[in-house]
Amino acid sequence: MTQNTINTPASPGMAAPATAWLLRMGKGRFLGNRKARLALVILVPILLLTAFAPLLPLQAPLETNLRAMMQPPSLAHPFGTDRMGRDILARTLSGVQISLFVGLSVALLALVSGMILGTLAGFLGGIVDRTVMSIVDIFLAFPSLLLAIGLVAVMGTGVVPVILAIALADVPRFIRLQRSLVLSLRSRAFIDAARTVKARKSWLMSRHILPNTVAPMLVAASIAAANAILVEASLSFLGLGIMPPVPSLGNIIRDGQTYLEQAWWISTLPGVVILAIAISFHFLSDGVREALDPRSRQ
Amino acid sequence: MVEYSLKKFAQLLFTVFGVVTLVFFTLRFIPGDAASAMAGDAISGEALELLREQMGLNAPLLSQYLIYIKGLVTFDFGVTITTRLPVADLLLRALPVTLSIAVLTIVLTVALSIPLGTLAALMAHRGQNGLDNLITGTAMVLDLMPSFWTALVFLLIFSLTLGWFPASGTVSFDAPMDFLKRIALPVLVLSVTQMATMARITRTAVLEVLSEDYVRTARAMGWSEMRVLFRHALKNASLPIVTVIGLSFGNLLNGTVIVEFIFTIPGIGNLLINGINSRDYQMVQTLIVFYALLFVGINFITDIVYRALDPRVKF
Repeated sequence: MTQNTINTPASPGMAAPATAWLLRMGKGRFLGNRKARLALVILVPILLLTAFAPLLPLQAPLETNLRAMMQPPSLAHPFGTDRMGRDILARTLSGVQISLFVGLSVALLALVSGMILGTLAGFLGGIVDRTVMSIVDIFLAFPSLLLAIGLVAVMGTGVVPVILAIALADVPRFIRLQRSLVLSLRSRAFIDAARTVKARKSWLMSRHILPNTVAPMLVAASIAAANAILVEASLSFLGLGIMPPVPSLGNIIRDGQTYLEQAWWISTLPGVVILAIAISFHFLSDGVREALDPRSRQ
Repeated sequence: MVEYSLKKFAQLLFTVFGVVTLVFFTLRFIPGDAASAMAGDAISGEALELLREQMGLNAPLLSQYLIYIKGLVTFDFGVTITTRLPVADLLLRALPVTLSIAVLTIVLTVALSIPLGTLAALMAHRGQNGLDNLITGTAMVLDLMPSFWTALVFLLIFSLTLGWFPASGTVSFDAPMDFLKRIALPVLVLSVTQMATMARITRTAVLEVLSEDYVRTARAMGWSEMRVLFRHALKNASLPIVTVIGLSFGNLLNGTVIVEFIFTIPGIGNLLINGINSRDYQMVQTLIVFYALLFVGINFITDIVYRALDPRVKF
């Protein structure tokens, strides 16, 4: 512990010690975790393929080829082609980019706003707590996909409205989690101990309470990212998310629905990719939890 | 009990009031207004002004709000913009379809997940992890499959390839057998995506009970394995299962929207999607409020039932 503190640059705030702590505690155990490794084994190839998609010998995602319409999977078109001769793999990889962007943006938005509002509610209590929590209750009264559908109906389609709609549906859960973490930490013995040596409230908050909420909130965030990818795909599938011609996993599958009998590959193969991403995020969250929680040793 | 229920009910009313208000004001934030969004580029000028007048958008906000609340309380949700039919009638016609799907899904989910969860727990308890891992792993994959994709894959396999279920056709309560055949596949798809959580809860609950002292005592008394399982394990597992049925109702509603859309079943989910596509805000507003009411209503009932069932919870 001590030699690491010396190496940490003396930057103010809670971010530096918390991140340093996460890296220190997490790295070895995260990579040593079976589930985390499995997640990386699935996710890293998908990320590499997505990042280097332009270098692959594939058609561009939007390029049509009328001489190769509705081709089944082959070496030239590993996922086949659609009714306009567009390459499904290229479109899928382009869709994965949007999916990951949506997933990470939603997780980040929900994490940051959930931490701020949840901490305020949990730490200040009283009228602030009651106001925030009754608004949270109102948002939680909507089934999540339906809330997102309603919000997109108002805000319109496209990447930004989709991110905002999904994040708005997620934030209440993060507020609730952060608040409950703050409340349960407040009554722990080490906080009492810090109080007895006259630690200031801001010190308690930044040094003792917030760093201890980071791990569970990160676990929640990686589940939220996976969930956001699924919700974005559902919205796009319903024709309310990301609209053609921009390829997204949901709207590629929607395109293929009409040709399910003649060209099964259009709808099924991109779905396998969504499933693989969802599974890897799920394992990732398990890995993060097991690596960061000192009590859950394997 | 009564006092607790009343307190919870008061909270419920407050939330419902919040939901209704939130939906009203969110729809007032549409860029331009609902009338111009609805009309698109089709009409402008005087015709648009007339539409605004008809939709009551020219009245002051407060009186619009009061008219809206009065409408909700008296079940007068206005008329749709495209067909001019009362929204309440359409809702009442679509509701039984969606509810049948939801109820059948719950029944099938319970029927599938309790035996599987119990089996997984038994195997884990005996140290035979192979089958346990298989069941737990499959449940996780099923849980993470996007429901619209599962629906298409099932449609491809069971309808188009094997021909077991009709892929299309009318949905009417007048022909109950046809109706059941038509909703069988959607119900199967939803159950498959829903059963993961319930199987997991069953497994955990049963596994916990199996290592209790009283189960060992029962075994020592020479009780058969089945009797131990039913008298102790499943009885104790029933409480968390009731809770999960209630809690997963929101997910179930989300799922009905998807399967109704894919299998073109005329339930409220399809009404909602059509409403959004035709920019029918009267319809969308009513349906979103209705879904929220259904969801909080079920959660309220689950909470009360849980407390009534659990002897440990004191009022």
